[in-house]
Amino acid sequence: MLGVKNLHKSFGSNQVLKGIDFNVDEGEVIAIIGSSGSGKTTLLRCMAFLEQADDGIYTFDDLSKDIRTISRKEIKELRMKMGFVFQSFNLFRNKTALQNVMEGLIVARKMDREQARQISMAMLEKVGMTDRANYYPDQLSGGQQQRVAIARALAASPEVILFDEPTSALDPELTGEVLDVMVKLAEEGTTMVIVTHEMEFARNVADRVIFMENGVVVEEGPAQEILSNPKEEATRRFLRRILRNEEE
Amino acid sequence: MSDRFFRIVRILIESFPKLLVQCLKITVPLTLLSFFFGLILALILALVQVAEIKGLKQFARFYVWIFRGTPLMLQLFIIFYGLPSFGIYFKGFPAAVIAFSLNLAAYNSEIIRSAIQAVPIGQTEAGYMIGLNYFQVMTRIVLPQAARIAFPPLFSSLIGMTKDTSLASSITVIEMMSVAKRIAAVYYEPFWMYMETGFIYLMICTVLTRLQSDFERKLEWKQPVEVKEAMDRVEADNLAHKFRWKG
Repeated sequence: MLGVKNLHKSFGSNQVLKGIDFNVDEGEVIAIIGSSGSGKTTLLRCMAFLEQADDGIYTFDDLSKDIRTISRKEIKELRMKMGFVFQSFNLFRNKTALQNVMEGLIVARKMDREQARQISMAMLEKVGMTDRANYYPDQLSGGQQQRVAIARALAASPEVILFDEPTSALDPELTGEVLDVMVKLAEEGTTMVIVTHEMEFARNVADRVIFMENGVVVEEGPAQEILSNPKEEATRRFLRRILRNEEE
Repeated sequence: MSDRFFRIVRILIESFPKLLVQCLKITVPLTLLSFFFGLILALILALVQVAEIKGLKQFARFYVWIFRGTPLMLQLFIIFYGLPSFGIYFKGFPAAVIAFSLNLAAYNSEIIRSAIQAVPIGQTEAGYMIGLNYFQVMTRIVLPQAARIAFPPLFSSLIGMTKDTSLASSITVIEMMSVAKRIAAVYYEPFWMYMETGFIYLMICTVLTRLQSDFERKLEWKQPVEVKEAMDRVEADNLAHKFRWKG
């Protein structure tokens, strides 16, 4: 459904993505893991055109094109079909929770206000935030903000939702409420690509896990297999380190 | 000694309405007009820089360099005394409005530009990801947030402008300062006259400061108290309803 082939990206002389092949099928939940600096966030951002990739083939449904030749108009259309959840939430600070969710429907999709409001309230309901609909982001906790951000990504019923470390900026006691929402989405069959450090979550929710290091995909496969019996030494090393950190 | 005291009090009381009238007739309109035009020009100068429009961006940098790098009084003199040699004549008041507007635009464009750049890039990215275009992201997300950041320093610049209008007295504009000078010369009580004039400037700025904090409170993105109360009521009702059903 969404995929890239031979994706390259450099920041200056620093090559961050060195030919990534990646593909997500409809209804699939993919967890991308790897230490910081491995390029996993950059990969996600390239797929949303928040970074401009240097080279590669981009695929979305029927469209398959050299990523450098995709026009601004096409980017806008592609973005309409995806949702993006940021590490730092990025809720619009000048708008209430409800207005945040409605914004894309009213402005980008020209939906009428009442219909947009109903859909948005339904989305807030899904993430358990209806009672805070009229609150501004500054009045919400990090976990609540991220749940509203998920509602905002869901509002336009996208074909796929990309999550960029959705719980990394949260206090540990607040990660649960966000992960619960994501588990629910996975159960409903939402197509999701999740960059994450939550190994337990990846094991329970992801269909497929991708381990990245130094700008390449080292290993990928079913979640259980990668997380319990990794074949590559690099994967084992990474998992040991993560596990040790979690125990501390 | 007491004669002198009563004389001063009489002079102050008599001159007060004259100063106040000049203040309301000239100083305040001069300030507001200059600030209004200066703000519009500042916004344009800031936007062409943020949008990185080639040519216009460089022009804006050049403009800011010129108008911040030369004294305001010199700019006044060039427009009022200098331009006539090219056949361009302005009366005192319009010349002052033009000079003040152009000067303010330079300072205020820097305030607005930095405020726009202070809005986190994540706000823009989130806007793009829900399908907005550049114009929509700017007008609906970035500029409203930048306005709040820019508000206090812009207000400082307005307060500064109020006092800088006194420079207009040097190009024949009869504003409050000119009147004060004249009365001081007639009665030969400069200390008390200028104290009184200073008091009026101080009053205007006190009013402005008060306005500033009122506006700032309005600009906060917090739920109005009424909404909160109403929602608490709804919650309480829902709860009561639930218990009634169960009970």
